[in-house]
Amino acid sequence: MSTSTTSAAQAHKLMVFVLSMSLYGLATLVSELIPSVQVGIVEFSVEFFLFIPLTLAMLFDPLSVALGAATGELVFSEIMLGQFGGLGELEKFLTVAIAVYVAGKLVPDPRDIKRVGIAAFGATALQLAMSAAVDIIKVVVAVEEFEAVPGLPESVYFTEGFAFLNDLLFSGVLFCLLPTLFLAPRLYGKIEPLLGIKPRTPEDVADAASPRLALGAVVCFVLAVLAACVSKAGFSLIEWEAEWAESTGALVTGLAVAVVIAVIAAWCLHRNATISRA
Amino acid sequence: MLEKLSENVLDKVSIDYLRNQVLKNAYGNDDTPIARLDPRVLLIWYLFFGLVPWFLGDVVTLLGMFIFCAATTRLARVAPLVLFVFALGVFSQTGYLLIVSILFSGSIDALIPLLVMTLKVTTCSLASITVFSGLDPDRLSNGLLWFGCPERLSFSISFAYRILPIMFEELQNILLSFRMRGRAPAHETLGGKVHWLVYQVKTIIQSFYPLMLNMAKRSRTTVEALELKGYRYASTNAAVLKIKLGSLAIGRNDILFIALSVVWALGCFALPHVLEVLV
Repeated sequence: MSTSTTSAAQAHKLMVFVLSMSLYGLATLVSELIPSVQVGIVEFSVEFFLFIPLTLAMLFDPLSVALGAATGELVFSEIMLGQFGGLGELEKFLTVAIAVYVAGKLVPDPRDIKRVGIAAFGATALQLAMSAAVDIIKVVVAVEEFEAVPGLPESVYFTEGFAFLNDLLFSGVLFCLLPTLFLAPRLYGKIEPLLGIKPRTPEDVADAASPRLALGAVVCFVLAVLAACVSKAGFSLIEWEAEWAESTGALVTGLAVAVVIAVIAAWCLHRNATISRA
Repeated sequence: MLEKLSENVLDKVSIDYLRNQVLKNAYGNDDTPIARLDPRVLLIWYLFFGLVPWFLGDVVTLLGMFIFCAATTRLARVAPLVLFVFALGVFSQTGYLLIVSILFSGSIDALIPLLVMTLKVTTCSLASITVFSGLDPDRLSNGLLWFGCPERLSFSISFAYRILPIMFEELQNILLSFRMRGRAPAHETLGGKVHWLVYQVKTIIQSFYPLMLNMAKRSRTTVEALELKGYRYASTNAAVLKIKLGSLAIGRNDILFIALSVVWALGCFALPHVLEVLV
């Protein structure tokens, strides 16, 4: 009995994952392809279809929705269009997943408009703030003479802060808050039976231990920042090595070693996977 | 300005065009030299060309790597739309920064670091376009699976390419039915144009309501079909993995490609020093 229950729950989680992945993926793909309109420095873009995973997270298991949405964005709009940016995508993946998960955990009853609104707006602000912070850190790290270039630090803080406010007040309200307020109460009780799931009751999200949730979110965010900062570590490593030998030899060897390490690491991953599967 | 606003957002984008471009990108170029390479080789190649440029600061080296990545992208015959999106992305990442920092400081000093950064971004993006657009989705997901990526991800890639045309068609049908039943506001005057834009955006958002319900049914069918075939059991089974990955093989072309890449990369690293000696 208990195994069949967990198996059904697993299948439902997979359904929710597939649903969230394909819907959000389609939306991000469409929004990636629609050209954004620049009016002066204010950018009007339909960048943000975050209302889809937000609505779904308030109706179904938040974790599956969050992972599905992040995967959907990765697969549809990054890999399909060949825009995969390596480590940079990790940051996007984590910020979207955290924001959606938090929003889903905050709403015990999707018919409660006030909670839905607060959760949707808060999650959008959270996601935007996290990605703005990562962006600033990335530019600080990637441009060598960041402080030496006059005007650059100010311009980065200015553009990032402005983009944050612009996105939050324009995309956030128009494309996250209002659609979620429209969709979440209307879909409640209608979409769940289609997947064979019971509509959400407050007990379903009762296990949201908020300190643990906050801690997890913080840890994930630090991970994202670290990923963005790896480039800095690489920088200083090579500079140090070049100083040490002051020749191309050291540089080339260092890079060759890096390649070999990458290959070996890849091999190890593979062996690990086969062994654990055997 | 507002004219441009309403024109740009919806008039020029036909969903058929988007669908065709994406499908062409995914399945339309199986016969290119890049697509015939082993996905594992290409992924390792990407690991190098997608990561190493971030750590370099020399303009000449970066330029060499950029030329190489541009050549491979040409070889992969990537769809024009993808290239357009890529160009737009590069501009919005660093191009605007260039303009703003010149506005703030009024000096030309900011150009060199920003040029280096633009080259970095461009080279890495071109490498990823080569690998992820040049490869067949099934080969790509097999390659990722071989490296021990979660089965969920490689399933998502294969599934995404199959479901996308269906979803595009459905979205288009829903939008068209909204258009048939509704009455778009007149958009001759300025205020009318704004109304028209708001109307279009509202239609798109409302059309996600039926789309979500339909997609829920579809994803239930998909998962049930997967379960019938034992998907969750197979995804953790080593024997299944072995059969699945049996088709991967490294041939002469792969070795040629690796050799060329290595020689070119070494040349790029040596070039600044050769120039130094010559000048």
